[in-house]
Amino acid sequence: MTASVDARVAPSREVLLDARNVIMQFGGLRAVNDVSLQVHTGEIVGLIGPNGAGKTTFFNCLTGLYQPTSGSVEFSGQPLPPKPRLAVRAGMARTFQNIRLFHNMTAIENVMVGMYSRTKTNAIDAIFRLPRHRREEAASTERAKELLDFVGLTGSGDTLSRNLPYGDQRRLEIARALATDPKLLLLDEPTAGMNPQETRQAEELIFRIRDSGLAVLVIEHDMRFIFNLCDRVACLVRGAVLVEGPPAVVQNDPRVIEAYIGMPATESTTPNWQQPGDNPGEGVEDA
Amino acid sequence: MVELFFQQLINGLSLGALYALIAVGYTVVYGIVQLINFAHGEIFMIGAFGAFVTWMLLGRPTDWSVATSLLVLLPLMIIGGMVASVATAVATERFAYRPLRNAPRLAPLISAIGVSVFLQEFVRLFFGTIPFVGRIPGWPDAKSAVPFPSIPGISGQTIQLGGVLIQMPAIFTLGALAVSTVFLWYFVNRTKTGRAMVATSQDPDTARLMGINVDRVIVAAFAVGAALAAVAGVAHGLRYGNIDFRMGFLAGLKAFTAAVLGGIGNINGAVVGGLVLGLAEAMATTFIPGQFGSSAWKDVWAFVLLILVLVFRPQGLLGAKVVDRA
Amino acid sequence: MRTVIPDELKIQLRYPARAVGLVGAVAMIISVFLPWSYGHGALDDVGFSGSPSPLQLVFLTLPVLVVVLLGVPLVGKAKLGRWAKTVAWNTTAKTTAIASLGAVVVAMAAIAIELGGLVNIEVGGWVAVAGAVLSAVATIFLPDSPEPTLSRVKTARWVQILAIVLVLAVVLFSAAYALGMSDAGAFLVFAAILTGLVLALRQFGVFGWLGNASANNNRVLVVSAFAVAFAFPFTQNGSNANMSIASQVLIFAATALGLNIVVGLVGLLDLGYIAFLGAGAFTAAILSESAFSTVNFHPPFIVTVLISGTVASILGLIIGAPTLRVSGDYLAIVTLAFGEIFRITMNNLDGTDGPNVTNGSDGIPGIPDLNFFGFDFAQPHVIAGIEIGRFANYYWLMLVVIALIIVVFTNMNHSRIGRGWVAIREDELAAEAMGVNTFTLKLLAFAGGAFLAGVAGSVKAHYDVSVTPDQYVFLESAFLLAAVVLGGMGTVGGVLIGATILKLLPEKLRFFSDYRLLLFGLLMILMMRFRPEGIVADERRQLEFHDEDEELADEIEEELIAHHGHLNPERKGFEL
Repeated sequence: MTASVDARVAPSREVLLDARNVIMQFGGLRAVNDVSLQVHTGEIVGLIGPNGAGKTTFFNCLTGLYQPTSGSVEFSGQPLPPKPRLAVRAGMARTFQNIRLFHNMTAIENVMVGMYSRTKTNAIDAIFRLPRHRREEAASTERAKELLDFVGLTGSGDTLSRNLPYGDQRRLEIARALATDPKLLLLDEPTAGMNPQETRQAEELIFRIRDSGLAVLVIEHDMRFIFNLCDRVACLVRGAVLVEGPPAVVQNDPRVIEAYIGMPATESTTPNWQQPGDNPGEGVEDA
Repeated sequence: MVELFFQQLINGLSLGALYALIAVGYTVVYGIVQLINFAHGEIFMIGAFGAFVTWMLLGRPTDWSVATSLLVLLPLMIIGGMVASVATAVATERFAYRPLRNAPRLAPLISAIGVSVFLQEFVRLFFGTIPFVGRIPGWPDAKSAVPFPSIPGISGQTIQLGGVLIQMPAIFTLGALAVSTVFLWYFVNRTKTGRAMVATSQDPDTARLMGINVDRVIVAAFAVGAALAAVAGVAHGLRYGNIDFRMGFLAGLKAFTAAVLGGIGNINGAVVGGLVLGLAEAMATTFIPGQFGSSAWKDVWAFVLLILVLVFRPQGLLGAKVVDRA
Repeated sequence: MRTVIPDELKIQLRYPARAVGLVGAVAMIISVFLPWSYGHGALDDVGFSGSPSPLQLVFLTLPVLVVVLLGVPLVGKAKLGRWAKTVAWNTTAKTTAIASLGAVVVAMAAIAIELGGLVNIEVGGWVAVAGAVLSAVATIFLPDSPEPTLSRVKTARWVQILAIVLVLAVVLFSAAYALGMSDAGAFLVFAAILTGLVLALRQFGVFGWLGNASANNNRVLVVSAFAVAFAFPFTQNGSNANMSIASQVLIFAATALGLNIVVGLVGLLDLGYIAFLGAGAFTAAILSESAFSTVNFHPPFIVTVLISGTVASILGLIIGAPTLRVSGDYLAIVTLAFGEIFRITMNNLDGTDGPNVTNGSDGIPGIPDLNFFGFDFAQPHVIAGIEIGRFANYYWLMLVVIALIIVVFTNMNHSRIGRGWVAIREDELAAEAMGVNTFTLKLLAFAGGAFLAGVAGSVKAHYDVSVTPDQYVFLESAFLLAAVVLGGMGTVGGVLIGATILKLLPEKLRFFSDYRLLLFGLLMILMMRFRPEGIVADERRQLEFHDEDEELADEIEEELIAHHGHLNPERKGFEL
C-alpha cells in the first residue's frame, strides 16, 4: 500500500473502503480484472484510465449495483451489502456519469430524496401529520437548504432540476449524494462537459467536501483536474490497475502516458499535464 | 386415459398454435421498440374480419368444390385478412406510436389501450356500413357474433386416429403455424429486411449508423406480426365458427402470455411459448381434479402461469433479449 | 396563437381591427335580445325577442369579454394599475372571439338539427353568426401580446381569497346548471362557452395568478371547495336523477384518485385496478344484510369498510409482491391478467365451478341501504325546506370518503414517502442508488391504492344495491386510467376534473352513448399525442412562487421587463 507516500495523507488515517481482488465478468468479457483499491478517511483518490478501462464498472461494484464475480469489498470494516440502497445506508454515496437527477422534482426535493435512508417517517406519521413527521420535515428542509448553499445553489431550491443549467445539475447531484450523509463520496466524471471555470469551481467544492471530513473517490478524464485534486491516483487500463500512487508518480509513469497516447513516452509526446500551473485552463483534452 | 391425454395433446397444440401465431406479433414489435403493442389482439380480430369481408366480396360462395375452396377461396381469404390487418397495424404505428417514440414509457402503452378500444368500437359500429350513408344491404352488423363462412374440406370435418378425434380446423391451424414459421425463418434469416430487423433489435443506434432505415424496419415488424395475426384470425374463425369484435381482447392477452412464456423478443420463443400455453390450458382442464379443473377456470390457469413465469423466470423459457437500463 | 400575418401589417391595422372587432362583439350582444330560432323547441327555447334565455345570458359573457378586452386598451389600460401591463390583452381577445364563433356555430348547428334545417334560424341567430365571424376575423389582425406575467403580480390576501371563492361559486353554478339541462344541444353549447371562457382566462394569465393564489391560501381553497361540494345537493331541489349522476361521479373520482397514487406518483401502470374496487364491493356485499349474502357475519358498516379495504390491499400485496420486481411494461400486463383472474373467479365462485361465495354471474342483489345510528340512507330528509333524497345521502358519504382520500394523497405526497414515490417514477435506478427502498415503497403504493379502492367499493356496493362480476371488467380499469391521464397524472384537481368529464359527458350526451367508447379510445390516443401531461399539469412541473420567494420573483420580473424592453422594443410599441 502506497497511500502514505504522499505528504498530504496523515499516516494515522484508517481504511474506509477496501476492495480486494475484484473481478467482474460479463459473459466472456472481463470488465474488471483483479483490482484492489483502498480509500482512507479524509482522502481524495482519483481513478483514471482510457475509455472502456472498466472505471464505471468498478464503481458499480463498489456501490452495490453489481455483484463482483469474485473478490471482496469491505466498507468501514464490514462486507459491503449487495444492494445500492444498503450501501447508501452504510455510508457510501455516488453521482452518475450521465446526470441522473429526478427531472420533474425541484432541486430541494431532489436533495430531500437523498435523505430517505436517514429519516424514519412512516405512512401513518405522514397521513396524520404526526409530530415526528413535522419535526423531520422541518429538519430535512433545513438541512437540504444548507446543502444547496454548500454546493453553491442558494436560491435555486424551487427550480425544477431539469431547468437548471448543466453545471448546476452536476452540483445538485453532489448535494443529493451528500444528503445521504455519507462517509465516502464517489463521483463519476464530475466535470464532464464543464468549462474550465466550472471545473475549477468543482475542484474547490470537492476540496471543501474533503475538508468537512469525507473521503472522495473520483473518476475523471481531465488529467490536470485529477492531478491537482487527488492525494492518490490509480490508473486503470483494460480492467486492471496499471499504476497507483501519488499524482507526481502516476503522471510521470511512462506506462500511463503510453496507455493514453498509445506510444512510449518521448520528449515530443510528453503531454503538458507534466507542468501543472504553467498554462491554466488547458488540459490534456485540449491538447 | 391415454386416449384422453392424446386428445388433449392435440387440442392443446392446436389452440397453442393459434396463440403462437398471434404471439409472434408481440414479440417482434417488443424486440425492436420495447413496446407492448396492446392493440395487437385487435389486429388479429381485424384480420378475421378482413377474411370475412373477402368472402362477402367473392359473392359468399358456399358451394365451391373442396379443391377450389382450399386452393382459391381459403388463400384469397387469408390474403384479404392480411391486407386488412397489415394496413391497420401500419396505420396504428404511424399515427399512434411513432410520434411517441421518445415519450415516457407510459405514453405509448396508454395510447395502445386507446387504439385497442378504438378499433373494437370501430368494427362494432361501422362494420357493414358506409359512414354517413347507411348500412350495406345484406351485410351483417358486428354488434354481435358474425358467423364465419364454412370452408368445404375443413369446417366440420374430422379425422379419426385411433381413439383420438381430430378436427380439421385444428390441423389447419397447426399447418398454418408450420408454414408461417418456415416463412418467418426465411424472412428473418435470408432477407435484407429481416436481417435489418435483427440488427435493429440488437442495437437500434448502431443499426441506424449502418444505414438501416429504422423507421422502415419498425413498420416491417408491425406488418409481419399483423400478417401472422391475420392467419390466426382465419384459423380462429374456422375453429369456432364465428368471429366478433371482442375476440381480440382475450386472445391477445393469452398470446402476450405466450410471448412472455417463451421469452419476449425471442421469435422462436413465441412459437414454443404459444404451444406450451395451449397445452397447459388443455391439460389443466383435464387433469386438475375437482371444481377448479372445469373449463371455467382455464383462463385463470393461463394467467397464473403468466405470473409464475414472470416471477421465477422473467426471461422466459428460451430467454429474452435483456434490456440493460443501468 | 400565432398567425401567418406579418407583424408590420398587424401594427398598421391595429386600430381598424379593434373597431371591427368591437362592432362584431356588439352585434353578438344585440343578437342575444333577438330570437335565435323560429319556434321554441331548440336549445331549451331561444326563440324569444327581448328576453334572453338562460343559455343566451351565459353566452353573453363571451362578447362582453371581447368588448372589455378590446375596449380597455383603447381607453388606456395604464389607469387600471400595474397589473394591466402583465396580461395578454390582444391574444385573449382573439381567443375569446374565436371561442364565441365556436359557441355560435355549435348553437346554430344544434338549432338546425333539432328543428330540422338552417331555415329555422331566425334573425338573432344570423346576427350572432355575423358578429362572431366579424370579431373573430378582425382580432386575428391584432398584434400578438407577449406571454402574460400576471402570476408574478402581488395582491392582497383578501383579493386572492375573494377570487378563490368567486371561482368556486362559478364552478358550483356551472355544475348545477349543466346537470339541470335536459337538451343535449344546449349542453354542448354550454360546454363550448365554458371551454372558451377557460381558454380565454388562461390566455389572459388568470390561471397562473390563481395557481399562486390557491397555493398561498391552500387551506381556504380546500375548505371552500368542500363547502361548495357540500352545498351542491341544495341546488338540486331534491332531483334524484342529478344527484344519482353526481354520486356516481364521486365514486368514480374516489377510485381514480386511488389509482392516481399508483400511476401518477409512482409511475406504475395498473390495468387491473377495478379488481380492487370489485374486491371491496364484493366484501361489503357479502358482509351486508342482503338475503343473498353467503356468510353469517354482518358487522356494522364501519367495520365492513375496514375489512373491505384490508381485503383489497391484501389482494394488492398478493399481486404486487411477486410482480413489482419485474419491469414496468410487464406489470401493466400482469395487473391486466390479474383483473381478468378476479372477474373470472367471481364468476366461478357460484357453487358449481367452485365454492359458493358470490352467487356467480348473478352476484349479490338486494344489498340494503346504509343505516348510520338510525340515519337511514334510503329515506329522504328535509333540510332547510329542501328535500335531500337517497342519492344525496350517498353523495355526502362519498364526499367524506373523497376528503379522506385527498388527505391521504396530499399528506403522503408531501412526505418522505411521496418524494420517494416520485423519485421512483422519475428514475428508479437513481432512487435506489440514493438509498430509497424502491420495492417496499412500490408495494406500499400498490397496497395503499388498493385499500382506498376497497373503501370506495364498499360504499359502491350499497349504492348500487347489487354487485355482479360484470361491473368490474377491464374497460372500467381503462376508464379509470383515462380519468387520471386526462385530468393530469399526479394531481388531485386534475383527476377530479377528468373523472367528472368522463362520467358527466356520456350522461348528458345520451344520443351519443353508442359512440362513447369510440371517442374515448380516440381521446386517449390524442391526449398522449398532444397533451400527455393532462388538463392540469403536475404542480411539480411548474415553477412555484411562495411568499419567501417574493424577492426573487420581483428580481425575475424586473429582469423580464428589462429584457423585454431591450430585446423587443417594437413589441412594447404595438401592445397598446
